[in-house]
Amino acid sequence: MVFESLSVPVLGAVTALDLLVFGIAVLVSFVIARIVGTYIKKVFGDRVDPAELDKLVRVIQAAIVIIGIYAALPSFDITIADMLVVGGTIGLVAAFASQRIVSNFGSGLFIIAERPMKPGDNVTIGSVSGTVHQIRVLSTIIKTHEGVYVRVPNEKVFTSEITNFVANVARRFEYTIGISYRSDADVAVRVIRDLLEVHPFVLAHPAPSVFVDSLGDSSVNIRVFVWAPSRVWWSVRTEMLWTIKKALEEAGIEIPFPQRVVTIAPGARIEVSQADAGEEDR
Amino acid sequence: MEARREGQFVLYERIAPTGRIERRLGFPEGTIVINPVEPVHLPQEITGTIEFHFPSLALMPLSEVTVYLTFPVEIGVFSETDETYNLIDVFSLASPKYSLYGTPERGVITRHVESAISTTPPAPDPLEEGVLTLTIRNTGRDWVWVSRAVFESPSLRIFYGPHAAMSAEMMVYSRLLAETWIKRDPPAEGMQEAIRVYPTRKSLIPEKASYLMEYGVGE
Repeated sequence: MVFESLSVPVLGAVTALDLLVFGIAVLVSFVIARIVGTYIKKVFGDRVDPAELDKLVRVIQAAIVIIGIYAALPSFDITIADMLVVGGTIGLVAAFASQRIVSNFGSGLFIIAERPMKPGDNVTIGSVSGTVHQIRVLSTIIKTHEGVYVRVPNEKVFTSEITNFVANVARRFEYTIGISYRSDADVAVRVIRDLLEVHPFVLAHPAPSVFVDSLGDSSVNIRVFVWAPSRVWWSVRTEMLWTIKKALEEAGIEIPFPQRVVTIAPGARIEVSQADAGEEDR
Repeated sequence: MEARREGQFVLYERIAPTGRIERRLGFPEGTIVINPVEPVHLPQEITGTIEFHFPSLALMPLSEVTVYLTFPVEIGVFSETDETYNLIDVFSLASPKYSLYGTPERGVITRHVESAISTTPPAPDPLEEGVLTLTIRNTGRDWVWVSRAVFESPSLRIFYGPHAAMSAEMMVYSRLLAETWIKRDPPAEGMQEAIRVYPTRKSLIPEKASYLMEYGVGE
């Protein structure tokens, strides 16, 4: 009775049984893909770069699901030629009906091919800054520095300016350090250079550069250019600034507050009122 | 440095100038192995490449010279059971420094080693420095100034005896191009090969036999 009802055509010549077999086959292929993905991660997790492993697992899982669908197709009595014709037509209709999706998909493919960034990179895409979490075919997932999940459509990623802070293996940062006019700039430069020399991640080549850059209103300004490995540049930058400040103070170098020298013209009359003091006395 | 049994664990402790390092090892029976390892782990591992800088040498066409350089020693502590090694600590008396070989866009971060050149094997403090025997061949038709040699750490084979030692060759093709590799034989008789960190990670990336220096051999 049940079998007979399943044999009734529901869509052209396709019966409910065909649909059931197809559904089970696809479901099984998804389950197998999941098991295989977990197994690959277990075996290769500590031997392959996580981003590359993720990509590999996705490709293998996609292949398993496609094979599952392909294996289930005979239940529909569909030939590959029919499928290509139908698929092509559906593709055209879908393309016109969902231009944005297709645009995002195309952009995604170009981004994957061009590789302006990879998962783990620190980037700014348009107005979004953070770490690339995942590059999908339709969108790119960014984890902002505050830990917020942001999904950026690939079309927007593709047309936006992308700043990748770690694409290069090394990057430069700089400080401007003002010292007082009373302090010896040569000593300050030497103190800073000595500190940079002993820090392991201040690169020996390209060598750091320390020089008197300008004579400011309140200070002699020393510029410091430092190259550091991109992977650790931020920690080097934050660590070195305070280290330099402490070392300069220990060497007797003064870091001045903004100040202004006021010259009173000869013969000028100055009146000093003590009204406030008098009020307090009362 | 001390390792002692504490219940079902072995407690490894090391007193360092920066504080006390403590590791709990869950192994009932095994060995602690201490030997020199690839000097790219401190203060944190950011590269797998080591770059030697030495005073410039002018090599005439089709010539060969052997020099002795020194390299910083990093001491690795492994726990071992059934010939399976696990790195538990690395320390060094040398001050680490890093550098860039090539351009920021396409170059590589390297562990920077500044070394003098000796024509006879030097006798450094064995806890601080090892000796690299480097044979440099100029296969080109021009004189070449050589002051750099770059190696990849997975290929490093460190041997130890009275001190840590490696031997390597460098084939210079031009002032911009050279190939380097580490020899697998001990530099002197009686030296023992050190346990390397790279194989303990069981990486699927195969070890390269040689390193191609594409950004020059001089300053």
